[in-house]
Amino acid sequence: MTPGTFELLGFGPQGWGFLLLKAAGTTIAAAICGFFLGSLFGLLGAALKLSSLLAPRMIGQFYTTIFRGVPEILIVYLLFFGGSVAVTQVMNLGGFPGFYSLPVFVIGVIAIGLVSGAYQTEAYRSAFLRLNRGQIEAGAACGMPRHLLLRRIIAPQTLRFALPALGNIWQSVLKETSLLSVIGLTELLRQAGTAAGSTRQPLLFYGIAAILFLIIGRMTGAALGGLERHLAKPWSR
Amino acid sequence: MTSPMQANTANTSPVIATEGLRKHFGTVEVLKGIDFSARDGEVISILGASGSGKSTFLRCLNLLEMPSAGRLHIFGEEVGLRAGKDRLRIANRRQVDRLRTQVAMVFQNFCLWSHMTVLENLMEAPVHVQGRSRAEIREEAEAMLARVGLTARRDAYPAQLSGGQQQRAAIARALVMKPRVLLFDEPTSALDPELVGEVLKVMRDLADEGRTMLIVTHEMAFARDVSSRILFLDQGQIGAEGTPQQLFGGGHNPRFDQFVSRFNQG
Amino acid sequence: MDWPFLIDVARQLLSGVPLTLQLAGSGLLAGGVLAVLVASAAASGIAPLRWIALAHVEVFRGTPLLVQIFLIYYGLGQIPELRDSFLWPFLREPYWCAILALALNTSAYTAEIIRGALQAVPEGEVEAARAAGMSGVLLRRRITWPIALRHGIALYGSEVILMVKATSLASVITVAEVTNISYRLISSTYRALEVFVVAGAIYLALTFLVSLAVALVERRLNAHHAHRRT
Ligand SMILES: Nc1ncnc2c1ncn2[C@@H]1O[C@H](COP(=O)(O)OP(=O)(O)OP(=O)(O)O)[C@@H](O)[C@H]1O
Ligand SMILES: [Mg+2]
Repeated sequence: MTPGTFELLGFGPQGWGFLLLKAAGTTIAAAICGFFLGSLFGLLGAALKLSSLLAPRMIGQFYTTIFRGVPEILIVYLLFFGGSVAVTQVMNLGGFPGFYSLPVFVIGVIAIGLVSGAYQTEAYRSAFLRLNRGQIEAGAACGMPRHLLLRRIIAPQTLRFALPALGNIWQSVLKETSLLSVIGLTELLRQAGTAAGSTRQPLLFYGIAAILFLIIGRMTGAALGGLERHLAKPWSR
Repeated sequence: MTSPMQANTANTSPVIATEGLRKHFGTVEVLKGIDFSARDGEVISILGASGSGKSTFLRCLNLLEMPSAGRLHIFGEEVGLRAGKDRLRIANRRQVDRLRTQVAMVFQNFCLWSHMTVLENLMEAPVHVQGRSRAEIREEAEAMLARVGLTARRDAYPAQLSGGQQQRAAIARALVMKPRVLLFDEPTSALDPELVGEVLKVMRDLADEGRTMLIVTHEMAFARDVSSRILFLDQGQIGAEGTPQQLFGGGHNPRFDQFVSRFNQG
Repeated sequence: MDWPFLIDVARQLLSGVPLTLQLAGSGLLAGGVLAVLVASAAASGIAPLRWIALAHVEVFRGTPLLVQIFLIYYGLGQIPELRDSFLWPFLREPYWCAILALALNTSAYTAEIIRGALQAVPEGEVEAARAAGMSGVLLRRRITWPIALRHGIALYGSEVILMVKATSLASVITVAEVTNISYRLISSTYRALEVFVVAGAIYLALTFLVSLAVALVERRLNAHHAHRRT
């Protein structure tokens, strides 16, 4: 007696529904954490690349070249294997013998953060370059100190200009989380693989994973599109 | 209303004064040592050929441009400047920020903040820089908008306004800070000819109120009718200085006469 | 620095480069042909064709490439008709599955690039050609497509680079290209950083060569353009 499609995807004892939804939650969590960590790296990278000094500019260039030019999966492997080697060495030096590793979720978020940060660097940098210098001068001429200029004029406008590019990067980040299945994070793809293996229904479960990715991407895309339109209002006539 | 005490000091010490102000960009010397002072209530038009250094001079007065040498006094207070690599540096940012709240600037390209409505543009600096209460400043901002004829457009964004409306909003933005001096850098140069009049009218009213104004302009008629004093910049130096009657009467300074006649030819 | 180890790693990884290039090349070739078909379908007057094209683009751009690879590699075998067909000898090979997935994936992105490039062709230049008596294939061959090509070439260059990087996912279904070899080296030696540096250098070199080639093509196209203007 093999269970039907409906039971396989349901929430009953034979069903994978609950586990798949939980894995979708992990996918979304990893994507959100990775994206925001990437924003941090991106802002830092943009600041480096916009510096008037040569050394910071070169560091920024090095960062974006490496993390945009090397396959993401290699970076995931580097952090997974290299990370545990490094942590183990530190622990052993500190007098704690044995083998240690970081949680795969943390490794995955750092990997995604580093990669998306390289792309976000370009998004923030080009948005910053589109700022109108005169408006910043107008702020300075009103006696705004630098932190106020940054918070009230530069940051909001940079964010608005960067938003379309950030939306594209978000979609990439969402899909990149699937790479974390290779280091054992039970996100959507890995959970689908487990289900596919134990039920011998790969078409069904990878298909479901694909559909869930489409739905998540569509919904977040619509939300970001709405935000983008809302924030673009001041520039429309 | 200014107290007699303030009026008294205002009459004795200049509002803005420079001594030996110099500025060079690379090897090009744009300002070659300017000694200048403006007193309370003066309306000074700064005239000169294109490239003579008018904008640079005006921008040095609120340190949007850093001079290469010289001294600057604002409201009788010396602005702290220290030597830098190829120009002076601000010694004390707080002092400069404080003085800047009282020296307002109106730009050629308006430079309203494009992510804020007109009303938000007006309230921004009073609330966040001067720390005044929102309720109080909102009333003043609305009054100021009424004064420049923009009440109906207070919730519009700058991109939705005409150039003339944007410049009037920018003037209102400068005024709500209750500045003691207003700097204008070619406020009508970026405007279509039919919009110039509405902005000049607002400026004329301000002059009639007795406000202290420094105006870089190419509007000769306006300069002649409204200013109490003309400053003619010629190749980075003060070429001539005097009342409009003295200068526009002719024969006072040949370079100025040449400038005006070339100007009148178009 | 352990040079003998690095040199040994480099030698092993370089042996995977031909496979990486094959995957990218075949994927781009097949994907390019498919992209033209999809773009034509998307622009056609027949509604069902348009819907299929739109769905194709939506699905292959909206889901991870790794999911597509697994669907093809593990999923297709579940269809009895396919197992019995002449295609099965190919579709059970990881190599061909990877190429199929890469081709389908890039076809969706490339179709969008084609659409955007055609949209960027100025209306006026097309009208001018019509006024000169051109129409149909002649108009497209002489005017529309050359102009669109110049608009699309830079974006397509980035797509090629993304494809070179995407071939690394074939490693997951045991295709022994550069990343697959890197993975085996890392998990057997635990010297992640050294292997990563060598593998990264190989990919950077490949993507650098691609961008150089794209820049050359762009230069030629523009020179041709400039020549015709004078
Ligand atoms: N940031 C800068 N870098 C280099 N040179 C500059 C810079 N700003 C101004 N200059 C030069 O300084 C000279 C004076 O410029 P300024 O803008 O002060 O002239 P202006 O009198 O305001 O002219 P206009 O009537 O055209 O506005 C010009 O030769 C200009 O090219
Ligand atoms: Mg000027």
